[in-house]
Amino acid sequence: MEKTPSIKVKNGIKYFYRFTVNQRIQHFILAWSVVTLVLTGMPLKFPDASWAPYLYSLFGGIHAAPVIHKVFGAILLALFVYHIVYLIYIIYKYEVLPMKKKDGVSTGKVLKVLANQPLVPNLKDAKDIWGLLKYLLYFTRKRPDGAKYTWKEKFDYWAPFWGMVIIGLSGLVMWNKELATTIFPGELINFSLIAHSDEALLAALFLFIWHWYNVHFSQAVFPMGTAFITGYLPEELMVEEHYEEYVEVMKKAGLEHEILPPHGMHAVASEEGGQA
Amino acid sequence: MKYARQVLRKHVNIIIVFISILLFNFTPAVFAADIGNCLLCHKYPGISRVDENGDLRLFYVNEDIFNNSVHAKVNCEGCHTDIKKVPHDPAKKVDCLIECHITEPSTETKFSHKDAEFFLANSVHSTKDKDGNPKQFAEDMPTCKNCHDNPLYRPLSFFKKVRYGVSEASLGRCRVCHKKDEFIYRFYNHVTTRLHKSRNPLNIAEVCARCHNNPEIVARHNLSTKAVYSYGETFHGKAARFLDERIPDCLDCHVRKGESVHQMLANDNPLSSTHKDNRSKICTNMDCHPSATPKFATYSVHAEFNKTQSPVQYYFTFFFIVLTGGTLLPLMGIIFLDCIRRLFPHAVIKRRK
Repeated sequence: MEKTPSIKVKNGIKYFYRFTVNQRIQHFILAWSVVTLVLTGMPLKFPDASWAPYLYSLFGGIHAAPVIHKVFGAILLALFVYHIVYLIYIIYKYEVLPMKKKDGVSTGKVLKVLANQPLVPNLKDAKDIWGLLKYLLYFTRKRPDGAKYTWKEKFDYWAPFWGMVIIGLSGLVMWNKELATTIFPGELINFSLIAHSDEALLAALFLFIWHWYNVHFSQAVFPMGTAFITGYLPEELMVEEHYEEYVEVMKKAGLEHEILPPHGMHAVASEEGGQA
Repeated sequence: MKYARQVLRKHVNIIIVFISILLFNFTPAVFAADIGNCLLCHKYPGISRVDENGDLRLFYVNEDIFNNSVHAKVNCEGCHTDIKKVPHDPAKKVDCLIECHITEPSTETKFSHKDAEFFLANSVHSTKDKDGNPKQFAEDMPTCKNCHDNPLYRPLSFFKKVRYGVSEASLGRCRVCHKKDEFIYRFYNHVTTRLHKSRNPLNIAEVCARCHNNPEIVARHNLSTKAVYSYGETFHGKAARFLDERIPDCLDCHVRKGESVHQMLANDNPLSSTHKDNRSKICTNMDCHPSATPKFATYSVHAEFNKTQSPVQYYFTFFFIVLTGGTLLPLMGIIFLDCIRRLFPHAVIKRRK
């Protein structure tokens, strides 16, 4: 039997494979370092806040906290570099190389492969956002059928991605300010500080409000989503968020007869049945 | 019980004296001799008066605190020269520039802070302009007591100690030659307090902030920034806020090394440390950023989120504010709608047929 089957049944509930061990470890390092960076950075952004000196003292105050901040900044940057290498490697190994062996590669083909990556935003995302708004504003009972990665997850991926570029570069400038100003004017440090701290606040609020709502605090998931630990998502959430992918995986596994109706459609079906 | 109360009442004076003796035994060695017996009255914490302006003035002197201050050796009469008898009339304000009853040991002349006046008169804080005419708003310019109070000794410790304060181990060495403990304590306190700043960077910034963060004074004197506010936005200012002692404060940049802080000069004065030609020397000095190039000093220390003062930085910050609002508000709207939607999972607006 496969080590990581795409559908696992435990206590009568189906679980769908979402994240590899490698991805989960990357996410752990990301989450751990981001939380530490926020905790050691926010007291400096809001030094006059009542909680700031206490929180800062937990990390050793002004002498130790900046060191901890830099250590975790370096870990996060290393992770970012690793992630880029990892991406290139898996795309090359699983998509470009087979294509090369089969019928040769061209720039156009590689670009097409890149554009079709599951996390690249596409037209369906726009449609799904529109569909979700219609659902949230009571125009329909049906949530949009999410693909493997929904627009929410793409947002969760690309927002920190852009954030890490901005925060990472500006952080490096401020860390190596003497070196940076051998080339650039000193005002670069001003801009770095603004970009670093403002983008960090945005990133922190984004993650702790939006991301945590979607994966932990939403009524469907509360108190905690476990996919980031186990790598598996329960059927209920799969139906709610990734219906398109759900149907595909179920069909592939030969379980067509067990496919559940889309989220919210149980009620619709019975209601309509009753009326008939 | 009644008898006990009677005894207590009868002997209350004895009890007070007894308690006083006990308390006095625990107070540290007294340095300053209260020759004029001023503490006869001023030792009472409640001693106060409402002055002509209607302000309550407190005249209490805590002897322990005073004896740990840099003026511990100066008698009350040394500064309050107009008081000749007890009880006295309302006293004049102290003039720090008089000669006080202390001898400066290196020259054996009477001690005075008068030299500070000379430096101040040649500084940007002078009340007169270059030609000796009174400046506009001269009353805004600081005098001694706008910046100074009676600072406490802030002795440094050596001999493997990590705590601040007098090092007992050092005192053992002093005692080999110097016999009087009172002298040793005072000398140790004086010298080691003077080896570093008697105020931490946050305190210094707070002193300057009294005027330099005051929007009216800033506007009146055409200053480009609320200086301590903009300093507080930099890493230096934030670190000072967290009581870092090693971080530069106002004086570290605005006074040339080795000169009196009273002789602070305007930015446009070529002799000023902050003149554009000298600025890089502040940052690149050996204790701060020795590997920095002169370009480093083009960092705007006093940039504010202000359209006229720093337009580029203003719009740069503005972009991030819009980005933050533009990202979070719609997403929070979706969360809000989602929370409500889950309460009515099957609700739908039915179209009329």
